[in-house]
Amino acid sequence: MLSPEEWGIVALSLKVGGVAVLATLPVAFGLAWILARYRFPGRVVLDALVHLPLVLPPVVTGWLLLIAFGPLGPVGRWLESWFGATLMFRWTGAALAAAIMALPLMVRAMRLSIEGIDRRLEGAARTLGATPWHCFWSVSLPLALPGVLAALVLGFARSIGEFGATITFVSNIPGETRTLPLAIYSALQVPGGEAMVTRLALLSVALSLGALILSEWLVRRTHGERQRRGD
Amino acid sequence: MAKGSVVAIDIDVTRRLGDRVIAARFAAGPGLTALFGPSGAGKTSILNMVAGLLRPDRGHIRVGDRTLFDSATDLSPEARRVGYVFQDGRLFPHRRVRANLTYGLDLAPPANRWMSLDEATRFLGIDHLLDRWPQGLSGGEAQRVAIGRALLAGPEILLMDEPLSSLDAARRGDIMKVIERIRDELGLPILYVSHDRAEVDRLATQVVEIGE
Amino acid sequence: MARLLRLFPLLFALLLAPDAMARARGPVVLAAASLQESLTEAADAWAAKGHPKPVLSFAASSALARQVIAGAPADLFLSADEPWMDAAAKAGMLRAGTRATLLGNRLVLIAPAASRARLTIARGFPLARALGSGRLALADPGAVPAGKYAKAALAHLGVWSGVAGRVAPAENVRAALALVERGAAPFGVVYATDVRASTAVRIVGVFPASSHPPIRYPVAVLKASRHRDAGAFRAFLFSKRGRAIFARHGFSAS
Repeated sequence: MLSPEEWGIVALSLKVGGVAVLATLPVAFGLAWILARYRFPGRVVLDALVHLPLVLPPVVTGWLLLIAFGPLGPVGRWLESWFGATLMFRWTGAALAAAIMALPLMVRAMRLSIEGIDRRLEGAARTLGATPWHCFWSVSLPLALPGVLAALVLGFARSIGEFGATITFVSNIPGETRTLPLAIYSALQVPGGEAMVTRLALLSVALSLGALILSEWLVRRTHGERQRRGD
Repeated sequence: MAKGSVVAIDIDVTRRLGDRVIAARFAAGPGLTALFGPSGAGKTSILNMVAGLLRPDRGHIRVGDRTLFDSATDLSPEARRVGYVFQDGRLFPHRRVRANLTYGLDLAPPANRWMSLDEATRFLGIDHLLDRWPQGLSGGEAQRVAIGRALLAGPEILLMDEPLSSLDAARRGDIMKVIERIRDELGLPILYVSHDRAEVDRLATQVVEIGE
Repeated sequence: MARLLRLFPLLFALLLAPDAMARARGPVVLAAASLQESLTEAADAWAAKGHPKPVLSFAASSALARQVIAGAPADLFLSADEPWMDAAAKAGMLRAGTRATLLGNRLVLIAPAASRARLTIARGFPLARALGSGRLALADPGAVPAGKYAKAALAHLGVWSGVAGRVAPAENVRAALALVERGAAPFGVVYATDVRASTAVRIVGVFPASSHPPIRYPVAVLKASRHRDAGAFRAFLFSKRGRAIFARHGFSAS
């Protein structure tokens, strides 16, 4: 059905998307928590910055990444000198681009969930002897779980679909950064690439649909199960 | 079982909330001390201050020989050893009854645990509910579990915020018997908030009038 | 408020006006990316003679061929190699008798201007070693002419297998140039004419013409062409004046 090359593209997309989302998860959760729970000067600015990748043209985001993380950029040079690592033309760079683009969606989903936590339950936990840390892990986080799961799946779907920032930042390198959308784009550039485009596009649709359905099911399962627990 | 000694409660707190000022000043001995007054008088706020969920503007809170709050001290809720039974129960929806009950028990240092899970479930008559989810409990069952959860955390004082208000008459009677047993058999001092005169007359060792 | 409302039809008319202006447009030319500066200058010279200015669209020849085969409403196609023009011809998209070879070019190995790398292009030269952990920037060797020429040249010299896995394929030859300009790639393979357009790269070596198929830029009028200037502009490109412009940018006359 799919050639080995095409399977390779799918595998790369899954790897890039998976790593992007897992790495972003704690960052997004932290930001969501801060934005949901605290009032501080500059909060509006932080909120705007978090949402920036959502509203900026992806190419601009990719260009900004290039400026900062490229071989001549401040962070890129630091990475090179301290770790000998470069993100240029590498799947790690593609994962970074995907992570940045997925961040706002993940923060939004988790923030909604965090805001929905009944603070009084946290108060009850504290009176029962829980430190704030223990209360977080045993009460707050489990209650925020539906949002965290939804964020994971949403972020993953966004990551595997990321194009503009990826191609601008780390180019279109087969085996390293040629994820599904970039592969489709390349195939479109050449006459005769129709069959490959169709296969990859169908696969894209299937992955995205699958992610959405999974997200819905997860949210329903965690919420609905609690509703139905009248056994 | 719990201590049978005389535990003195010494409370003097003031707190501004919005455009109201809530103030209370009283001392209490063992047994059930009722905080009686109309709705909105700030009775729940006083309980919250004792529990450490609300910070008084000034004053002091002492239970036995421990100072929970004064100008130099403000213990966090988890350090206060205050058991709290809320008006709406507030059982953890993501844990079964057993896990709700043992939440505080697991957190308490063994020296502070003066009741085992078996003792509590027998005392409250809830051992048949252990594998249920909170959402599936009736009002009376949920209240008993809430009481059990608070007792198992090994508190030195029990706070109860109108625990009977959401129950029907039959349930109310059952729970009142439970509270009487806590008052008499366990020797645990109770701060009990209510706006119902009949409840207070039956249960209270001492009544403190709150609010106007 | 009523006055503001009366502005709407005017705004609407203004939005539609460009359509009217379009009728004064010149012929649409689909041209290989490497022709950017030279063809622009030729189009300006043509417009200076009083003709409507041609509309130029630059991209990789493979991408342009795709558009031509799909029936894009353009007038002229200028490809950077014969095979893509052949593909357009095979699809029946060219106007008979209008295809001819206009230009030639050379292939060069480039490095960022600040680089001090020295390499002599010869059989088996140590390009892979010189690349180190970096990548070789070139146009997509699978489809874009500049990339195909580069791959052919490197294969002919016995160097391709060593660098095939270390390539940064770009969308077109100018994108490959940009990668080297930016320092993202330590070496690149582009046309000699591309280097003239850039101050941030230097030539490390020129590929012998015998190492790759001759670089030829054919031009043809498209069957879909509707513009009356199409043939005339094509003739201008072949004229003494037109050829001089291309020569100044480094192209050879095929």
